[in-house]
Amino acid sequence: MSPAAERVLGRVVATEKRPNTPHEFHFWTAIDSPIGIGTIVRVDAEIPVAGQMVRVYGVVVEGFSYTDLQSPIHDVLGHDGSPAGASLAATQRAEIRLYTAHVLRQLPEEPLQPVPMGKVALASDEDVAVALRMDTYLAAEARTAIPVGIYRAGAMEAPIYLDADFLLGPEAAHLNITGVSGLATKTSAVEWLLASIFAHFPEQKGSVAAICFNVKGPDLLFLDQPGKLDESDREMYEKLGVRSEPFDKVEYFAPYTPKGFTLNTLRSNEALAGNMRPLTWGLNEVMQFAEVLLNKDDVDAKADAFIDFLQERVINREFTDPVLSTTHRVRSFGDLEAFFRDLLRGVEDRGSGEYWRTHHVATIRKVRNRLSNISTRCAGLVTDEGVVSDLPFGSFADRTVYVVDVASLEEDTQDLIFARVVSKLREHLERRDLGVSHVVVFVDELNKYAPGDGPETYVRKMLLDIAERGRYLGLVLFSAQQFRSQVHRRVVGNSGTSLYGRMDMDELATPGYAVLSAATKTKLATLEKGHLMVRHPHFAQPIFVRFPRPAAMRGRDGAERFPPAGDIALDVAVLRSLRQLDGSVSLDWVKRTITGHDEGQVIRARNATLQARPERVQPFFEAQFRRIVPPEATPRATTVPIRSLPGDDPYGF
Amino acid sequence: MDAGFHNLQRQLAALLPGETWLESSPPLELTSMGVDEAPRLISATLLEDRTLRAHTIAGDVEPHFAAFLDGTQRSRVIAHAGEVPIVHGVIAAVVRQRVERRLGTWRAPIVRGALYAPLGLLGDVWRDALRRSRIDVVDTLDAKQGDSQHPFALQDAAIHAIQRAREAAERELAEAWCAAGDGDLFLDGSVTGSDAVATSSRAVGVVKTHRTLYAEGDALRTVLRLHRAERSSIFRITSPRRTPVASWYLRVRDPRGHDPLWGLVRVEVAEAHGNLPQRADDVSRWVLAEALPLAVPDGRWDKMMYGIRDCEEFLRAIQ
Repeated sequence: MSPAAERVLGRVVATEKRPNTPHEFHFWTAIDSPIGIGTIVRVDAEIPVAGQMVRVYGVVVEGFSYTDLQSPIHDVLGHDGSPAGASLAATQRAEIRLYTAHVLRQLPEEPLQPVPMGKVALASDEDVAVALRMDTYLAAEARTAIPVGIYRAGAMEAPIYLDADFLLGPEAAHLNITGVSGLATKTSAVEWLLASIFAHFPEQKGSVAAICFNVKGPDLLFLDQPGKLDESDREMYEKLGVRSEPFDKVEYFAPYTPKGFTLNTLRSNEALAGNMRPLTWGLNEVMQFAEVLLNKDDVDAKADAFIDFLQERVINREFTDPVLSTTHRVRSFGDLEAFFRDLLRGVEDRGSGEYWRTHHVATIRKVRNRLSNISTRCAGLVTDEGVVSDLPFGSFADRTVYVVDVASLEEDTQDLIFARVVSKLREHLERRDLGVSHVVVFVDELNKYAPGDGPETYVRKMLLDIAERGRYLGLVLFSAQQFRSQVHRRVVGNSGTSLYGRMDMDELATPGYAVLSAATKTKLATLEKGHLMVRHPHFAQPIFVRFPRPAAMRGRDGAERFPPAGDIALDVAVLRSLRQLDGSVSLDWVKRTITGHDEGQVIRARNATLQARPERVQPFFEAQFRRIVPPEATPRATTVPIRSLPGDDPYGF
Repeated sequence: MDAGFHNLQRQLAALLPGETWLESSPPLELTSMGVDEAPRLISATLLEDRTLRAHTIAGDVEPHFAAFLDGTQRSRVIAHAGEVPIVHGVIAAVVRQRVERRLGTWRAPIVRGALYAPLGLLGDVWRDALRRSRIDVVDTLDAKQGDSQHPFALQDAAIHAIQRAREAAERELAEAWCAAGDGDLFLDGSVTGSDAVATSSRAVGVVKTHRTLYAEGDALRTVLRLHRAERSSIFRITSPRRTPVASWYLRVRDPRGHDPLWGLVRVEVAEAHGNLPQRADDVSRWVLAEALPLAVPDGRWDKMMYGIRDCEEFLRAIQ
């Protein structure tokens, strides 16, 4: 125990007007003591209770300072109303530093009594562990401690740990972080915490991976690149037992741009293409989650019934019907459109009435319109031809971060991606065949995806489901937002651990923060970058910690160092894509190969190659074009006027 | 009422089961009559100038005092043995040393409690009980200040005895400072009680009560009309049982709109040290420097210096 920690810094006081209770006590200190809001202190009682000396741990939540003046006017009079004169006083007025602390822990825990009078000292490392009940999960034989940061008071620094059982399940799970935008605290904290989890997640608890949805700019796009750290950061990494290096296993996924040439991401610099994968889905992947994209007002019960019919009877099956000109096997949006076209023409040609298999033609047209629309609305993600490039469900790797960049996508597309990825994670975790036993899903901007008010959306339902049931599966939600008060209560309420960065005062004035003292709120409103307030099931009170800058490159720095590729020609886009598979591919060869083919054909060929990942890339790519039958030139019918118009008859009669 | 007072009552009640104990008697300092001396004017020998006149204190005032000394007393009637009041008195004294503009306690403060009673007027039962109690007992008849058995006279005798005890404690600390302290000491009141203090170059007494004024006639008018930062000519204070010292009046605050004694203090220093007028000017500057911060909310803040108020607050806290 350090001498600084042992030094008596204050004494507990209690008056009739301001008594101590079992949960709160007051103490005074010298005016130059290192005590501040958030400091953890230890009280050693001077009178034994039931034969034991009571020891109380508390965290400072409020501070008071006053002098022996009874009225400010006395000071004004004393200086003739001139503030400058104050420095002339020969003696400084007697001044008190009085603090209020909330009890973290009292030992022995029974009988629970008001905090006794006693000496107050700064809590040492060991005291902090006991005060926050970390001793229960720091024990070597059952260690489940995940470092979250460093608590600092005076010259003393103590690591603060979260309990993996309460962070990643099964006891409790989920983490929510809130704070104002622009300080990069939320993203940095999550990056740091993921690194800490990867370094300390106990072996006996299995494996863990993370899926991060990048929803803003380049925030999470350079996790595999080294960031800027200073000496103090490195010291913190060392103290907390985490390597100060970027994530070594990161895979990026992004849909294509609507044009289809390049991936729709700011991580499009060619130097980073190695672990960048396209995210494209076909009809099968989308139909399961059509609900996400279809407006309930649009899709009534009849339309819903027809969609069910399509899913059960048409899609991925050979389907034939007297009204159809041929047998259909629908495997892509292109096939689906062909099916609809054939069906509607058949119904019209046969004049068989307004119904087909109990479904009204208007309903069929409506469903066709809405479903066909999906590939347009989600162009780049959803492909007409059904090419699939997906996350590696079933072969997720331990300690790997999978980043899905949805930042540049339309809201519908983001929703679809989110809903499908989370559903797939859930399915695989239920079957225990995801590849890892725990997955952390990081979602920023929770205000948008799980708002406290507004319509019930598929995404919000999914988030609620994770929050309420995910911990049993190992599906853990790390969420972030600017305004916690505006997020659905069941999402934040189910987060076992909460982190708070610098907060907006208006937000702090909402009822959710009523339990915090005015001083704690003020500290939160002025919190420095790199500082957090932590609430965790083991901590009786919130604790302030510092955490190091992430060892991964900040998004803004990454975007400067690896500028996005910008608009490129189709041949260059194909070159870059194919070079990921075969470094010998040249631009000349690409140009030669794609000459005479339209953009759609080239993109389809490229996508097919990327999906197949063949050993011999160039022949495979060339073969894609040989399969394409060039359209025959249809002789244009010569139009013959019914009769020639008289030159002087403007109306044609 | 403090815990010590009640503890003492309980202790005595165990020894004197049949007696009645006062529940909440007020401090005698507030209620006693005849303790304060009658106002009087005394002419003093001038040590400067032929006639007493005003001197303006020129130059910048600067804090100089290293420490402040004051004592307090508190007394309450604890019981009546028949018609004889038994008084519980607590005296205390402290030196508060100034380091980097902040005051802290120099050495251990003195706090002493005792029972004050005219033992000769008490019955055997009471005398025996007081002897068996674990608290010091002071016989107020020892001083032989009057032989009236009027209850107030007996109370006054007790108060005088307590006052003497307080002065002794102050003297004890002042002598200790003069022997070992570092820098000049600001004493609340006269320095004449101790020869060692009255002749020390390290002690400055500042008297803020003026029941006795050392001026008559024109000299008195001059004193009462002193402006702020003016002092009177230096004069000698003598007393049969006290050491002579040099003294002067000093106005520390602007008296306009107040009574003539507003902000007026009398300063005492040893007579034998250096050029007296120069020393009077220097010491006056030091005292004027103590005018801030105000000693409010104490009602005597016009004359009381903050360091002395700090001593009183400290003693109030520890008694």
